[in-house]
Amino acid sequence: MANNSLFLKSGFIKVPLQNGVGRFIGQLQRVTIKFCKSHGNSRGVREFIENDLVDFAKQNPGVVVYVKPRRHRGPSIVGEYLNGERNWKPAGNLSREEIFKWINLMTVQNGETEAFRYRKHIRTKMPSIQGVWTPFTHRNLPNNLITYPNEELGEVLHKEQTATERLLEIAMQQNLESDTSKEQQKD
Amino acid sequence: MSLLRIASKLVSSPIACGFINKSIQNREIHRYVMPTLREIRRRRKILGPRPIPRRSEFIDWNYEAEIYAFGVRLHETFAPALLQQAFVDRSYIVQEEMKQRSVGIETPVLQLTDNSMLVQKGDTLLTEFIVTYLNISLPNFPRDGIKGIYKHLVSDEVLADISFHLGTKDLILSANYPPRKETLAKSLKAVIGALAESSGEMRAYEFIRDLIVTRLNQKDVNNYWKVDNPVELLQEICKEKKLGEPEPRLIAEVGKNTLLAAYHVGFYSNKKMLGSGFGEDITVATEQAALDSLRNFFNTNLNMKPLNFKMPVEIVMKALKKPSVASVEKM
Repeated sequence: MANNSLFLKSGFIKVPLQNGVGRFIGQLQRVTIKFCKSHGNSRGVREFIENDLVDFAKQNPGVVVYVKPRRHRGPSIVGEYLNGERNWKPAGNLSREEIFKWINLMTVQNGETEAFRYRKHIRTKMPSIQGVWTPFTHRNLPNNLITYPNEELGEVLHKEQTATERLLEIAMQQNLESDTSKEQQKD
Repeated sequence: MSLLRIASKLVSSPIACGFINKSIQNREIHRYVMPTLREIRRRRKILGPRPIPRRSEFIDWNYEAEIYAFGVRLHETFAPALLQQAFVDRSYIVQEEMKQRSVGIETPVLQLTDNSMLVQKGDTLLTEFIVTYLNISLPNFPRDGIKGIYKHLVSDEVLADISFHLGTKDLILSANYPPRKETLAKSLKAVIGALAESSGEMRAYEFIRDLIVTRLNQKDVNNYWKVDNPVELLQEICKEKKLGEPEPRLIAEVGKNTLLAAYHVGFYSNKKMLGSGFGEDITVATEQAALDSLRNFFNTNLNMKPLNFKMPVEIVMKALKKPSVASVEKM
């Protein structure tokens, strides 16, 4: 995680209300467009309202659109969603096309999803379809047919040389060596 | 004198000038700010938490438009008057009457009717549909189990959550804001009732199927019914089905007399396996095995096929007319 995302909201991908399992419900509830009637940085918003707003409202009848003029203040778009989230977007000096894009983006979101850090890109509520692991899960099946006690399985796995064996081996070697030296002397 | 000389040198050098400007002359936050904020915070603490402002009291609020958009968003057509009635809680009417009385009006007149009639209608529709749907989807599941799932689905918490996510919070006229869970749940039932009255019961059933029954998506249906003694129940079921007496048998054990002991127990009847389970001791494993055998009998295994949330409503409506299903309704 980078240092600059410390204050970024974070979480997992989630769908409110099993949306889409039964039917799809657009999550944008209402949009409020705030702008100034005379100020220059509201020009794009004013153009959008004059040209595109009615069409937008007709295409999205499930979204309630409010237009709120206020004198000498910067324009903004505020989206409110069904899950209680609110998305505030400053719209100063944006062109008509840019506002059209932002407002259309809001219709497919369910909150301020562009400023959100996903902890994981996958989310499941059913962690295991196969079932919980137990010590008996991946057993070797032929083991079921073995009769016990079994000599092969009962064998000692790591056989190390014992001290007695080692001594005997050393003694044997010494005997051999002494035998050969005696033979050499005879010759 | 020497100090003055040094000071004059410092002032003339460009680095020192910047330093002095920043540290002494331009104080960015005024001295009064911190104590003022502290005082405001202290007074706010004394006043306690402020009430959450109602969305409907904002300037940008059009109740009619909101009501219309509510119906369109759900892809339903409502009679506007009925939908508006569905959002009127009894507490709101009482509050308004009290307000009028306090002003001096002895017989308060309010052109509002509360949603209790619609709630009743929605409630019966909910019960009918959910119980019949579950009976069709889980034919082998016992009545108590279906009752458990039904009770979960119509509990105030679940209905309130669904209601909230449909955006009723701001539309409900009630004395409290945000509305209580019961109010949210009631208004959802009333919305279902209003839908049935404005576009027919079939649409209402589809609404219930799409928005309320889908709550069971990715959930284990066995969780909503707690079996107290699974072994006893298994014995009863085996007797009913005329199978042999079920007996638990130890299949495998590992790590005996250690902290990580695990036992694998299976239930058999007439040498046929009914189910198996695991546990840290034999009693737990036996119980789990009994539960697994029950799940096998009920066809509600952990890896069962998901419930059909696209089931045509006609099937449910047809089943509703049969007396055998209707008797299950009273739950």
